[in-house]
This record gives sequence, structure tokens and C-alpha cells, in this order.
Amino acid sequence: MEQPIVKLQNVTKKIGNRTIIDRLTLDLPLGEVFGFLGPNGSGKTTTIRMMVGLMSLTDGEITIGGHSITKHYEKAIRHVGAIVENPEMYKYLSGYDNLIHYARMIPGITEHRVHEVVKLVGLEGRIRDKVKTYSLGMRQRLGVAQAILHKPQLLILDEPTNGLDPAGIRELRDYLRMLSKEEGIAVFVSSHLLSEMELMCDRVAIIQNGKLIDVRTIRGEHAAKVNNRVVIEVDRPQGALEVLQAAGRSGELEGDNALTVEADKENTAAINASLVSAGIKVYGIRAHVKTLEDQFLEVTGGERIG
Amino acid sequence: MGNFLPLVQNENMKIYRRPRTWVMSAIMVVLVLAISILWLIFGGRDTSMWDVAFMESSILFLLVTIFTVVIAAGGVAEEFTSGTIKLLLIRPWSRSKILLSKYISIMIFAILLAILLFASTLLVNWICFGINASPDVKPTFVGAEGENPLSYMLKYYGLTLISLVVSVTLAFMLSTVFRSSGLAIGLSLFLLMGINSFMGLIAMLDYKWIDYLLFIHLNLTQYLDGNPMRQGMTLGYSLGVLGVYYIIFIALTWYSFNKRDVAS
Repeated sequence: MEQPIVKLQNVTKKIGNRTIIDRLTLDLPLGEVFGFLGPNGSGKTTTIRMMVGLMSLTDGEITIGGHSITKHYEKAIRHVGAIVENPEMYKYLSGYDNLIHYARMIPGITEHRVHEVVKLVGLEGRIRDKVKTYSLGMRQRLGVAQAILHKPQLLILDEPTNGLDPAGIRELRDYLRMLSKEEGIAVFVSSHLLSEMELMCDRVAIIQNGKLIDVRTIRGEHAAKVNNRVVIEVDRPQGALEVLQAAGRSGELEGDNALTVEADKENTAAINASLVSAGIKVYGIRAHVKTLEDQFLEVTGGERIG
Repeated sequence: MGNFLPLVQNENMKIYRRPRTWVMSAIMVVLVLAISILWLIFGGRDTSMWDVAFMESSILFLLVTIFTVVIAAGGVAEEFTSGTIKLLLIRPWSRSKILLSKYISIMIFAILLAILLFASTLLVNWICFGINASPDVKPTFVGAEGENPLSYMLKYYGLTLISLVVSVTLAFMLSTVFRSSGLAIGLSLFLLMGINSFMGLIAMLDYKWIDYLLFIHLNLTQYLDGNPMRQGMTLGYSLGVLGVYYIIFIALTWYSFNKRDVAS
């Protein structure tokens, strides 16, 4: 793996007696879309705030590109683009003026680059209008535009798909994947939308109650392994189970009218045949894909806030 | 790193792209016009242009203070209430420099507004009363006999500008510390206007600590005519007290802005 661009080491945040973030250690490499997943109130936004220097650290250290965020803030933040929570812009300025505002704060951003970014996020038609007339989705696009204006090495997006329509979400997803693969930048995306993360990210860190619970690879060989379970919907699951056991297979009841079996393609057909010949009605057969959602609920124990 | 000027340019853009800034400036000029025209209609033309200009300046400078305080009180607090502070701070600039750029642009606005008042009173009254004025009409407001009215006016503006800087810094501090523009506007106007009107009374009390109160010293024009609010006070002493307050305000503002977490 490449040298990580971001290192979080034992990052801890305490407010009063409450520990919001508890010894979080995480490395983000370049060229990956890295998801940050957790239920509401688990500390995602707090972590992001600490990464961009909006909040101080109680303990631990964050370095970006080798520069400590607390000691050399200006150097560390130079190559970071971010949206923290909602992309709040100056409503009384036009979208274009907002971008010019941020462009002025970093040397070397030309007007040409501003136009390029506007085109990229698809706001050409409305960029001269005041931001207060924008829809949430347009504000989100403008937020992405200000974040990528200076071609950052690390892009931090907090709930980026909020307010985007399905086409917009897809566009953003493709764009983020393109950025990470072709430009080789690190993209750090937080969300509680599991299905979204599954489509967007290479790896996902799961956080709960301020603690890092697990880091999982979404793409690649790891994800495929859980695919050989099959769910069979029948009219008499108990009877079906007996048929299976008679054939030397093990199965589990799932709900009132289904059971799950460990089986590959050929076996599935055989099981179907034996069930039908035993007079059991088979309503449906589908692959049991363990989604990220299942995994997520599994590791977080489906626990609610608190 | 980089050039600091674009930051001030940004803050200026945030002040002058808002209609309220222009409404405020327009209100001031319209009031100057209105007073002069009413005076012309009901008082006739046998008044010196300097008398009217000075009278208008002393009344309307209060508006300069109020308007600048409103802008200053909004300066930091509105970035917090609208949430834009987050995107503003995550740039390769220290918080101190971002705050400084805001402070500078507000001070520029204060000075521009004062210049606008000065210029509009002179111009309007020169047109209304100055052109072809009878040579018998002499300005009456000047303290010392034979003093040039223009230099007296300039001294007056200079002294009130010093008070304005301290008042605006106070509002800027409240804005940064409380992060709420409503509270900052309300509190600073209450302190500046409300308490100021009691100051005449408080100044008569015979306690030593009253000499150190900010509000005793905010009206520096008391020295222009040589009758200070409290006996024995001099301009230098007042400037010293204001200076100490100024340093405290600035220190608190910058400390609070640098130290605290942004969690809105």
C-alpha cells in the first residue's frame, strides 16, 4: 500500500466528561474512496471537524501529508478540500462569487479553473444567480465545486449525497471514483446511507459511540465470499427442512415461510428438484447476498443512539 | 503564506454586496439632505453653512456609530449562524489572519461612512447655504474666537473617529465571543447608547473608580470646548484609558476566536 496521506493516531475528543471520540486510529491511502460509516451521533462529524482543524483534539494526533493539523495547520490544510455537514454558502452572493471568494484564499487558482469546476459540477446555467435561489442539490454541487477548486490531495465529504437526486448521486459517485482512480487522490466520505457507501467506496470504516469498530474492504475478493447462501421460499418450511436433512444437507429456518441453505448453482437446482418431488411448493429462490447493511447491523449490534 | 490582501477583498465583498450597506449609506445622505432643506424652508438662508454642517454632523455621527456597530456585530456572528464559518476556516490561513481581515474591512467601512457624512454635510450645505452667502453671516459654533471652522470640524471628526474605533471594536468582540449577531448588536447598542445617557449622572458621583469607566471617556469631544465630564480629566488621560480598553477588547476577541471549537 502507498504511504497514507492521512494518519489519525489515538485521536480522542472529550467534551466535559463525555468522551465523543475514543482513541481512533486510522490511515487513509491515496487513490481510494474511503467510507466512514456510523449511526447518527456516533462521532463522524466530530472526527471530520478535527481532521480539518475546526475542533481541537483532546489527545492524539492527526497528520495530513506529513504535517500535523494542530502544529502546522496552514501546511496541513493546503491540500485538503472539504464539505463539513451542509455546504453553507453566502446566500446573498452568486454561486460564482462564492467560488471566487474561496479561490482568492488559495494562491494559484485561475479564473479558468473556476469555470472548469463550474462546468464539471454542471452549474453553468445558474452560476450567476444568488445562492439563496438554489435548491439543496445545487448547493451540494456548489459545495463540491469549492472543495475541488484547488485540486486537493484529500477530499473530505460529509454526507455528500444529501439532497441530491438519483441522477446526481450517480454522477457524484462516478466522479468521486474517477478522482480517486485517475487523479490518485484520497476521498473520505461519511454517511449513514449504507447502500450508498457500498456502491461508492473501496473500504469502509465503521464507527460507533466514538470507537472504531471495524474496517472492511467493499470491493475485491473479500466481498464475494458471502454469496453462496440461498434463500428458498416455500409453503411448508418445516417439511422442506426435513426433506433437506434427509438428503444430508443442513438448512436454517428464516422467517415464517423461507429457509436458507448453503449451496452453489448446481446444488440449488438439485435442492429445488427434491423439494418439488416431495410435494413442497417452491415460490422463489434467491441468492442471499450479505449486504453492507447486514454487516453493519451485525457489528454495531443494531444498537440505537446512546 | 500567500498574499493577505485577497482576504480583505473577500470581506469587503461580503459587506458591499449586501443591500443593507447601501440602504444605511442612503439613509444617512437622505437625512443630511432633509435637515438642510427643512432648515432652508423654515429657517431661511441667513445661517452659516458651517453651523448647519456641524449640527448635522454631531447628530448624524450617532448613525455612523449605529450602522458600523450593526456591521461589526454581524461580522463574525453571521458566519457562525449561517454556518459559512466552517468553509471559511478550512483554508490555508490561520484563524488570526482571517479575523484580522474581517476587522480591517469593518474599520475601512467605519472610516468610509464617516467620510461620507463629512463630505455630504459639506457639499449639501455649501449648495444650500454657502453659495453667494452674505458676508455678514458668521459661523457661531466655533469654540475659540477666530478659529477656522474647517479645522474645528476636522478635529471634531478625528476625536469621534477614535471613539468610533473603540465602540466598533467592542461590538466586534461581542460578536466573536457570543457568536450571535442579535445579541452582539443589542448589547453593544445598549452599552453605547443606554449607558451613555446615564453617564452625565454617574460622572457627578465622587468615586475614584468612575475615572476608569469606558463610557466616561467615549465622548472625546468634551475636550474640544474645554469642559470635561469630570474635573481634572485630560484628553491624554482619556486616550490612555481608551487604549487600555482597546487592547483588552482585541486580546479577548483574538483569544476567543483562536481557542474555541467550531461546532455549529
